[in-house]
Amino acid sequence: MQRERGVAVTGLGAVTAIGRSAPEFWRALTAGACGIRPLSLFDASGYRTQTAAEVSEIPDGFLTAAERRRMSRADRMGVAAAAEAIAASGLDLSREDPTRVGVILGGGTSGLLDSEAFYELHLRGRKGRPSRVLNHLPDAITDRVAQRWGLQGIKSTITTACSSSANAMGYAFDAIVSGLADVVLTGGSDVLARLTYGGFNSLRSVDPEPCRPFDRERRGLSIGEAAGFLVFEEIEHARRRGAPVDARFLGYGVTSDAFHMTAPDPSGAAGGRAIRAALASARINAEDVDYVNAHGTATLQNDSAETAALKDGLGARAREIPVSSIKSMIGHCLCASGAIEAVATVQTLREQAVPPTIHYEHPDPACDLDYVPNEARDAAVRIALSNSFAFGGNSTVVVFARP
Amino acid sequence: MPSRGVVTGTGAVCPLGRSSEEFYRRLLAGETAIRPMTAEERAGLQATHVARCDGFCPQPEISPMKARRFDRGSQYAIIACAQAIAEAGYDVAKDPGSIGIAIGTGSAGAGALTEFLRVLLSESPEAAPPFHFPNTVANAPASQVSIELNLHGPNVTVTQKDPSALNALLFASLALGSRKARAMIVGGVDEWNAVYALGFDRVSALRGEKRASGIVQGEGAFALLLEEDAAALARRARPLARLAGIAVAGVPTEPYRFAPDASAMARAVQGALEDAGCLPSQVGLWFPSRDGVQEMDAAELAAMRRLFRTLPPEILVKSAVGEMAAAGGGQLVAACRALADPAGPFGQSAGPRRALVNSFGAGGNFLCAILEAIPEETS
Repeated sequence: MQRERGVAVTGLGAVTAIGRSAPEFWRALTAGACGIRPLSLFDASGYRTQTAAEVSEIPDGFLTAAERRRMSRADRMGVAAAAEAIAASGLDLSREDPTRVGVILGGGTSGLLDSEAFYELHLRGRKGRPSRVLNHLPDAITDRVAQRWGLQGIKSTITTACSSSANAMGYAFDAIVSGLADVVLTGGSDVLARLTYGGFNSLRSVDPEPCRPFDRERRGLSIGEAAGFLVFEEIEHARRRGAPVDARFLGYGVTSDAFHMTAPDPSGAAGGRAIRAALASARINAEDVDYVNAHGTATLQNDSAETAALKDGLGARAREIPVSSIKSMIGHCLCASGAIEAVATVQTLREQAVPPTIHYEHPDPACDLDYVPNEARDAAVRIALSNSFAFGGNSTVVVFARP
Repeated sequence: MPSRGVVTGTGAVCPLGRSSEEFYRRLLAGETAIRPMTAEERAGLQATHVARCDGFCPQPEISPMKARRFDRGSQYAIIACAQAIAEAGYDVAKDPGSIGIAIGTGSAGAGALTEFLRVLLSESPEAAPPFHFPNTVANAPASQVSIELNLHGPNVTVTQKDPSALNALLFASLALGSRKARAMIVGGVDEWNAVYALGFDRVSALRGEKRASGIVQGEGAFALLLEEDAAALARRARPLARLAGIAVAGVPTEPYRFAPDASAMARAVQGALEDAGCLPSQVGLWFPSRDGVQEMDAAELAAMRRLFRTLPPEILVKSAVGEMAAAGGGQLVAACRALADPAGPFGQSAGPRRALVNSFGAGGNFLCAILEAIPEETS
């Protein structure tokens, strides 16, 4: 019988408001650092709120000036995080069969900041430079990463809003397990833009103060930006080259709420379905789960619905394990949230400590689990879930385990 | 060889018809929906032609009240996907968790996005209409379909240039293989949008007055119901075709550049042939990627000539409905109908009833699929 293929995580990369590399990000997470600050990327004075978890300086010093000009902000953040992940994995891509190495990412605002500027000029009857719209489509970063490292395998970009990069990791897992690829760079990069900032503000879902997931006084989300990259590698492939294995990706559940375009199912039944699908895909039981990195957006609806979903999907186990939302520190990084939260989840498994939910003060009877308030703690974590729930009722739950 | 799924139903809302049957019949008759742009559509563009769902009306499937809540792409998708489920005779209510959706798109959400931004940028952020924001996401059509048709299975939208729909097919096939669903709606959806057309025009992507090489934009939705072989057999469905093989090849290049790389294209075709376990001579029909980008079209021809002694007869979908991320969905729908059509291009001949679908896009994104007819005795 043929050996079953599996997926190891052999490299991590992160660019966030609280850390410009994966190790820096982890140190800040466990210190409970808050990256939600006054927004400076564009003039926020006309919006209802003026804060965001913005990346102050992208670690892209290795790019030439010409490369930087051609790339969008999301490209630059993505390429920086990808470079870190590849270096950490120790992979020498020049020695791999390039047709067996792919890129599957979650697609976000991509070059929207630039196309917004182009469109603004157009609306004023002026002509913008065509180069400003070249990076508009969400799949640009995927091609960009493949171009930079000469990759010729599968390329794909998942565009399911806030679950995009979680689904991308699932697709990457499928691609490797099915034999389509041996290595897939996965994750995502999503940056602030006026569309998303204005959009969530128009829905009155943004807290003017840093967000407070699961707190009774929570008033909405904080928007953030980040790039999170993971090197997914077939387990045997990783073992053969003696690679450092941070974690294994055991499986994922992807389901449709079929409930409402923006509201979660308050009963938790829809989210519970996604959790159960993830357990089935990973071939584990609820009792095996030691930690959940929550979607935890800090909107009134999400946090109580997610709490109900965890009880629905994990049963009694939900009350026994830590559940935390790192959005309290890095904001909701939208299409990159699944990726950056997966990076944190893998680090949790590696370091045997769980990051906290900060700004937590007032217990909410509708959110009555252990949210790891305000301080990180050591914990024995063998298997961890990370939840991503999106507009459209696209619910995805990924499962990682200690190697 | 593991099963990749069988196609038990199709649907289309496109410039060449409002059902897969009408689309297929008019395509076979050599009709095209490509027409000169109106003065309003052109508005200063180099581009001269377009293919749109002219006169489209969401009724009777979607009530006028409901239709107001959906962007145009979602309307196209809801109708096309419902057609595919109806043709397949799939009982969703019996087990909503058994069926999901994977859709490819390049432009879904464009209407809502440009309208929301227009107000935000020209008036004020506070004036931007909240109603439009949820529909700015590319997954709006697939998600509206899942809500309307009550699908509880996997729900994914893929954007990867022109072959987005074939990429969705690949995802769906893997989802069936890993038992995430027993059936997946697969397809593509795009809506024509004036601001997007302006962007494409400014970066010289559209064929126009002074530009012989380039695409003509299309719009619409195409859907297939891809079902696990065993599940289709168990419910005595009559599949139109089987997905025999699918393969992908990438070329490292700038996201917006064409990579007319015949070797990489040949690798994608060869990969699909190997995946299907068949020889070039066993392919009886070809749906080229050809879309008017001259260097890409020439490279495709060169790639095919490397592998095929005689090129199979071809059907050009993009010359009929235009180019878009969803176009691959149209090629797949047409291929399935042709394979199941006793009076179609395969005729009564004993020739190989297999069709090759090529989908080659900018940024070095190449996918190919092979569909085959299902022999009488097993269908």
